[in-house]
Amino acid sequence: MGFVAHELRNPLSTALWSAELLARLAPEDRAGARGEKLSNMCLRALQRLRLLVEDHFLSERLDVDGIPFKVEPVRLREMVELLAGKNGVTATVAIDEALAVRADRGLLERALEALLAAASQGKTPVQVEVSPSSEGVAVRFRGATTPPGALEVPNKGTPSDPTGRALSLYMATKVAQALGGALTSSEDGYLLTVPPAPAAGPETP
Amino acid sequence: MSSLDVALRRRSPLVLVVDDDPDILEAVCDILEGEGYRVARARNGREALVRVDEERPLLILLDLMMPVMDGPAFAQALHRREDHEIPIVVISADGDPQKAAALGARGFLAKPFDIDALLAEVASLAPAPACGATRPDA
Repeated sequence: MGFVAHELRNPLSTALWSAELLARLAPEDRAGARGEKLSNMCLRALQRLRLLVEDHFLSERLDVDGIPFKVEPVRLREMVELLAGKNGVTATVAIDEALAVRADRGLLERALEALLAAASQGKTPVQVEVSPSSEGVAVRFRGATTPPGALEVPNKGTPSDPTGRALSLYMATKVAQALGGALTSSEDGYLLTVPPAPAAGPETP
Repeated sequence: MSSLDVALRRRSPLVLVVDDDPDILEAVCDILEGEGYRVARARNGREALVRVDEERPLLILLDLMMPVMDGPAFAQALHRREDHEIPIVVISADGDPQKAAALGARGFLAKPFDIDALLAEVASLAPAPACGATRPDA
């Protein structure tokens, strides 16, 4: 909790200061360059706060009570490509189009979004591919890495991350576990393992 | 900017702001510039040592947790040099003033601090220009 409070303080500071500076500006100056700069600063800080709060909230809920979720077959490639595009991540996705995993769509999206952000760090191209695993479907994210232990202990990762992702890998680890899989880091990125979707039965005429 | 403004700004105290968070850096510098201070920026202790050599600030506002070289390591390095008389005010999300005291800092502000508290602390160590503020972009 101490780390979370620490992480919240920087964007909270920026949001408060920029809002107060805006309020102190003469009305005619608020539409000017400085007003725009302060508005953007405030918005960035609030978006960063939102990410931190959402990641913390989900991690805590998964840790303490668990949350009800709906497991269904989810096509992996489609979801990864969609999330990469939505978040501006350059990703090469080498996953069979028909490959599906068994997961809650919303939870899986949160974990994949966190992994794409962590592996890209805003600029590194990410390679996403599926490798053989006896544990389930193993999805490898090759790109930027994180210090050892950061998946379990967030303050070993990217404290003061200006994008608000300081708790995202910790959250993704909890999500992977909740889905019956696992998340590990490696020397070239991350490995997410999730249960495969049951094989489709024979088509009925 | 008039020639009087230019002359005033040249006499304005220079404050070095050291923080790895780009938005905090931008916001604190904006606040200080709004009061007529000149500012220099650094994103870690190593950059701050270079800025100290280049710009000779009157006051340093220092974050504690930073990559490359953190606040305590910077303060130690500074104290070993002849510039040790430059006062440091710690600005940190870590709410423990003891850490600032251990660095020999002259002040401590826990984020999120009030803008007026920052200005009062800075003014006590580096008085602002007497003739009011002129923003550099004005």
